[in-house]
Amino acid sequence: MKTLKAIYNFIVGDMIILIGILIVAIALWLISYVGALAPLRVAIGPILIVAALIVLSATLYREARGKR
Amino acid sequence: MEWAIASAAFLASAVEFVEAFTIVLVVGVTINWRSSLVGAFAAAATLAVIVGTLGVALVKYVPLNDLRIFVGIILILFGLKWLKKAILRYSGLKALHDEEAIFEETMAEVRARGETIAPRIHPFGVALSYKAVLLEGLEVAFIVITFGGSIKTASSNGIGSAALGAAIAGILVITAGALIKAPLTKVPENTLKFVVGIMLTSFGTFWAAEGFNYNWPLSDAFIPILAVIFLLASYLLVTFLKQQKRRQLTASKEQVMEEVRP
Repeated sequence: MKTLKAIYNFIVGDMIILIGILIVAIALWLISYVGALAPLRVAIGPILIVAALIVLSATLYREARGKR
Repeated sequence: MEWAIASAAFLASAVEFVEAFTIVLVVGVTINWRSSLVGAFAAAATLAVIVGTLGVALVKYVPLNDLRIFVGIILILFGLKWLKKAILRYSGLKALHDEEAIFEETMAEVRARGETIAPRIHPFGVALSYKAVLLEGLEVAFIVITFGGSIKTASSNGIGSAALGAAIAGILVITAGALIKAPLTKVPENTLKFVVGIMLTSFGTFWAAEGFNYNWPLSDAFIPILAVIFLLASYLLVTFLKQQKRRQLTASKEQVMEEVRP
């Protein structure tokens, strides 16, 4: 458990960033490999940019609320 | 000697060397050069083993897209972590009692006394430098093999020409990087860390999307555009958080005044 926590702290140390980016990665993987989602493949780049910004805003918003 | 192959490999490899060297440079300037160089040399050694073992079969056995996704996602995680800290500092929301700040203060005091501290190996810096150099080095190897392998004549060796082009590109990029190293050290540390966050997130986004077979418009030239997008977004976030902080301060002042009023 200690090792896992050390790896988590070393890589990211923030649950919102970790879960947010993992969800985005899974969504992009589905878009890439599921035929029905093929039309979305042209938007993978923009989706990733927007998702990264949403994740960043979410974690900052939480920090700002926590400081109140 | 195939000049067309050598120049094509030179140009394509130069772009990859610049990307890898940018990460090595920012790790060197913001963390320390020891960690950065250890990571870079370890990656170069890994590359040598991979290329030496697999040779031209490298293109078949190394899943470059999977590697791009893995490295890209890790870089986005690292980048967002740094960007978050930098934005919180700029907006004044980061707590003053901060271990990193205390460490930086101590370092500044030590430097002011004219003493030096041997830089310790920082795992974060080593890992960043290692991953960037390994990924980009593999891309250079792919360029050399695919460009070089496309021409095979009795009189010339395509791979040799492509390797020469790539080697010249590498030497030029490293020389140029060594020249800009000194001016970079004069930039304030917080600003540098903010820039590192932007760069890691930009490179991570670029590589991860490429791993999912997405073709960026303008190809590698889109990386600076990504950096601008993240920079503008960070500026807006800092402005928003500063306004929030001001509003909170005004609200708490009014509350105190009301409590004090008889």
